[in-house]
Amino acid sequence: MNRVLIDLKASFKMFFRSKAAVFWTLAFPCILILLFGAIFSEMDSKYSLYVQNQDQTLASNSFIEALNKTNAFNLQTLDPTIDATRYALDHELSYMLVIPEGFENDLGMSMNSSGATNATIEFIYDQSQTSATVVLGILNSVINEMNQVLSGGADYVVVQGETIAPKRFSFMDFFLPGMIAMSAMTTSIFTAVEISSRYRETGIFRKLATTPLRRIEWILSRTIYLIVVSFIGMGVILGLGIAFFDVKVVPDPLSLILVATTSMLFSGMGMILSRFVKDPETAGAAANAITFPMMFLSGSFFPLEQMPEFLRGIATVLPLTYANNGLRDAMIMGEPQRAIINTIIVTVLGIISLLVGAWITKWEEE
Amino acid sequence: MDKNHLAIEVDSLVKKYGDLTAVDSISFTINKGEIFSFLGPNGAGKTTTVEVLECLRKPTSGRAYVLSFDISKDQDEIKKKIGVLPQEFNTFDSLTVRENLQYFAGMFGSSVDIDSLIKLVDLEDKRNEQYKKLSGGLKQRLGVAMALVNDPEIVFLDEPTGGLDPKARHEVWNVIRGLKKQGKTVFLTTHYMEEAEVLSDTVTIIHKGKIVATGTPEELITRYGQRNLLILKNTDKAAVLLIETLGLEANFDSDAGDVKVTLNHSSDVSEIVKALTLKQIVFGELQLRRSSLEDVFLNLTGETLKEAETL
Repeated sequence: MNRVLIDLKASFKMFFRSKAAVFWTLAFPCILILLFGAIFSEMDSKYSLYVQNQDQTLASNSFIEALNKTNAFNLQTLDPTIDATRYALDHELSYMLVIPEGFENDLGMSMNSSGATNATIEFIYDQSQTSATVVLGILNSVINEMNQVLSGGADYVVVQGETIAPKRFSFMDFFLPGMIAMSAMTTSIFTAVEISSRYRETGIFRKLATTPLRRIEWILSRTIYLIVVSFIGMGVILGLGIAFFDVKVVPDPLSLILVATTSMLFSGMGMILSRFVKDPETAGAAANAITFPMMFLSGSFFPLEQMPEFLRGIATVLPLTYANNGLRDAMIMGEPQRAIINTIIVTVLGIISLLVGAWITKWEEE
Repeated sequence: MDKNHLAIEVDSLVKKYGDLTAVDSISFTINKGEIFSFLGPNGAGKTTTVEVLECLRKPTSGRAYVLSFDISKDQDEIKKKIGVLPQEFNTFDSLTVRENLQYFAGMFGSSVDIDSLIKLVDLEDKRNEQYKKLSGGLKQRLGVAMALVNDPEIVFLDEPTGGLDPKARHEVWNVIRGLKKQGKTVFLTTHYMEEAEVLSDTVTIIHKGKIVATGTPEELITRYGQRNLLILKNTDKAAVLLIETLGLEANFDSDAGDVKVTLNHSSDVSEIVKALTLKQIVFGELQLRRSSLEDVFLNLTGETLKEAETL
């Protein structure tokens, strides 16, 4: 164990002395957050929202128009005669808005009673879809603003959702867990590839092999090192979110386990890559080829529901998807049960990947 | 037979990589406290042999003992008692000289005095310099110091001066001589004839995986070397005929314009000079070339070391 500690101490010294390592691990995700934050905090991405106006009155039409003017949604209207829930299920919609008959009446009564009663609109949504919760949050904030304008505070209009307590999510709330998972992925895979292929090429493995340090001790040290660096990355990303974007996510034990297992998963993948692609540059390019599509296809930056269906199919086989979903479930959705399922998936994949990586990593070519 | 004086004993060692036989049934012994050189061209099987002895590779067949420990069974014991400077040595770039030594000392659980090691290889001014900022010679000296962190009984130095300039090479040689003074056994692999000649107590020549000769440098030169050579620079071709009349073998190098004479005795030189002067054949500078391990290699293998490396 002492040898593991010595190796860890040396690894951190080398990490903090390497400007490139610090930049790509800590500064780069920060730049991305600031950049995306600047673009999307003001102008959250647009969601397609189906609206069924069963009321067909001046008030309901004005409400839809007001909703349209927020620029938060691409509104699609739905024939008032059809069964909205059936339609949502048949067309695999994650969410839709229904303005029920009597909305105008209820609104009038609400205004007359200064908000003692209120007019409701119905938000039909699939709880399992991340984007539905995000849209509900946006919808709530839009309606709150409307109420503010109409009444100065009284809730004339309220959204009636399903059983879960609706939460407010900003784009950054959604974005940060994705960045944490992405940072754990890139840090772990690139460091594992870089170290394994460079140590092999420069003969450092050969030198280490002449000491009593065992391969398994070295891999243990490397794994702990990458998990800790991923935690540092997570801390920096959260700190930035809290300081600049008023993000209120708090890491819980599940999210820490997810970051650790994501790191294990991609460390193992890095070791496997560098075993087959021996040249350090090519190994780096191969790691890029794996991580780059994964960043965009597994919902790191945008909700999967915004992607075409065939891409969503691809996302289900990408391990980063489960890390992203799990972190969001744990950190912003308050969905521990779903987070546990995703954590189990990532943990199993992480252990398999690390075991295979450790098994095939050789210090010396025969 | 008492084998306590032996540092290494190798018996019929074979190492194959697929169809290629890198080491072909070699046997040798190394006495404790000596500098033993494995001399041969690149690809002769030197590094493979030392890596087998360092327990980095498994032999295909044969036996070997390091300090009486069996390489096939006692790897842990052997690793504790040997120090290794691998070929094309490298270590952690952004750790300093001192930190690199501390790291490897830690791996052995050794409480060696790091400062005295730094002093031994004369790196006191560079102790806080990062490895990547050191010159080639200084890197190799650090590599030697790193091979000593566990106070080993045997030090393996695989091509310790490869790629170094002559000054740096001599500095590393001094460090190697210092190891012998400390009573350590040094196993040196090299393809530099001069290095083997000036440093070694015993030289073993390896070629295409087989040992072709072993002995002290003097013994090898006496047994397998050529006779000394006299070179007459910028000399007329007519000198060849004249010298041949003295019963000596001479030939003309038309490219350089030199006449080369193989001497039987050192007294031949004055006879040649006398004859040329008498016949008024003008000659330039006289050079006397002593026979070396290069000639030994040539005689034993039919190739110069350079030719053997390009084959």
